Amino acid sequence: AAEPWPENAALYQQLKEEQILLSDNASSLAVQAFLQMCNLPVRVVCRANAEYMSPSGKVPFIHVGNQVVSELGPIVQFVKAKGHSLSDGLDEVQKAEMKAYMELVNNMLLTAELYLQWCDDVTVEEITHPRYGSPYPWPLNRILSYQKQWEVRRKMKAIGWAGKTPKQVLEDVDQCCQALSQRLGTQPYFFNKQPTELDALVFGHLFTILTTELITDELSEKVKNYSNLTAFCRRIEQQYFEGHGTDSSASAAARPPMRSLLR
Amino acid sequence: MAAPMELSCWGGDWGLPSLHPESLIVMAYAKFSGAPLTVNTINNTWRAPQGDVPLLTSEDIVISQPAKILNFLRKQKYNADYELSAKEGADTLAYIALLEEKLLPALLHTFWVEAENYCSVTKPWFASRIAFPLSLYLPGKMSREALNRILLTRGKPPLYSLTEVEAQIYRDAKECLNLLSKRLGTSQFFFGDMPTTLDAFVFGFLAPIYKVCFPRVQLQEHLKQLPNLCRFCDDILTCYFRLSVSGHSPSEQDTADANLQKLTQLVNKESNLIEKMDDNLRKSPQHPPRKLTTLKLAAGGEESSTLNRLSP
Repeated sequence: AAEPWPENAALYQQLKEEQILLSDNASSLAVQAFLQMCNLPVRVVCRANAEYMSPSGKVPFIHVGNQVVSELGPIVQFVKAKGHSLSDGLDEVQKAEMKAYMELVNNMLLTAELYLQWCDDVTVEEITHPRYGSPYPWPLNRILSYQKQWEVRRKMKAIGWAGKTPKQVLEDVDQCCQALSQRLGTQPYFFNKQPTELDALVFGHLFTILTTELITDELSEKVKNYSNLTAFCRRIEQQYFEGHGTDSSASAAARPPMRSLLR
Repeated sequence: MAAPMELSCWGGDWGLPSLHPESLIVMAYAKFSGAPLTVNTINNTWRAPQGDVPLLTSEDIVISQPAKILNFLRKQKYNADYELSAKEGADTLAYIALLEEKLLPALLHTFWVEAENYCSVTKPWFASRIAFPLSLYLPGKMSREALNRILLTRGKPPLYSLTEVEAQIYRDAKECLNLLSKRLGTSQFFFGDMPTTLDAFVFGFLAPIYKVCFPRVQLQEHLKQLPNLCRFCDDILTCYFRLSVSGHSPSEQDTADANLQKLTQLVNKESNLIEKMDDNLRKSPQHPPRKLTTLKLAAGGEESSTLNRLSP
């Protein structure tokens, strides 16, 4: 590995209270969890233009030394190049499984989150548009959020999700959670004793879904149906986020996760 | 017994029952689960495909996407996953997601976007099976849709250029093939001795890459170095589709392992080279002098020194 991990590594995301959306919060929390699991300190910096600063256009991104890396996949590789890895103890077949499950979360959960945020008209009007453009003055806020909405809808159309109703999307989420729950079983982590990047990714998404208030509760209800998943989230939260008093929304009490008012 | 079911899909060539991955998935699943399907291949008639292909018609019900068709077949009690445990069912979903995210873009690119392949093979083949004048329009539309899908899922807004993502999608696809090969190992199907939904999906995606003769074939060459995947496709073709396949000699487990190692090396080296190129092109602040480190491989004792990668 080249240089050691510097003290002032920073993770950039959008403004937590007013601006960040469900999907971005999930991705950011996944990266934070991953770095905590590797014991690499990083401070979270909130900037309104985080999305534009990122090299790939997606949040979160980390600034380490003089390098900027965005998204969980490249960050995992970057950290591995520095000599820290969570999945070294896995054999080849397990690594294949881990990658497959990470793709499942990206394919189904993330896409469902994007769909519910940007393609469900009620949610778009009441939550997404106000939040996304909140740091900017009118009319820039409306223009930016319409542009983003158009982009996301194009993508949904290309992968065939445009024709789905919210109910079908929720069923897909349920199927995905069922698969994750069955894979987790009664183990503490997905690959028994040690957490891996898959655990970080699943935690990021599920915790965010459980603690975010949307128009209806249906999405979080789907996750709550699986008690081993909620226990999993609570376990990781207690282990990796509580002792630090960090500013992430993960510093809730040991009671059932509090609803952080992400409105 | 259910009502007679009909499947309309694209026909086949080069030893395959169909060239279209989604049609192949449905056909393979029907064979595995014993569902009686009459297959109507789309040929040069006026009943050209209106929307999605494959299309299943049963009495009055018309269903279009592979996932929905498979669900329908399962409800009709043609279930190939009957003996799978809950965890294996979850694994199936995960591996299907892996295929769609990592392998499908490269497959679409090879068939529809790569200019030489498209003009010399794909377009004439599809155009010959669609009635005039749709044959002038539909292949182009399918090509544009494929390009769109690749760019929107992999490209970076707002410019969405193809060149950036080409190298990445082929790298991902080769890695995906390696992972599938490791997962399959020496067993006949992915979950033991009986083929299941996952086998249908993997077959549907792999067989076109394996069999269709294109001028630009980097993915096919990579696949041919994974003998267990080739054997998997050939087995399904001979057993379930009763098509004769030119036999190839079975390889020893040692050479299979050695091949897999070589391939992992190749993919690592390629990704290092490509990232080096990317890094040179990107304007970057001063980098600290990089130390040369050794790149250790999984089981082999070989070491090669390459520049260690630090940026995405």
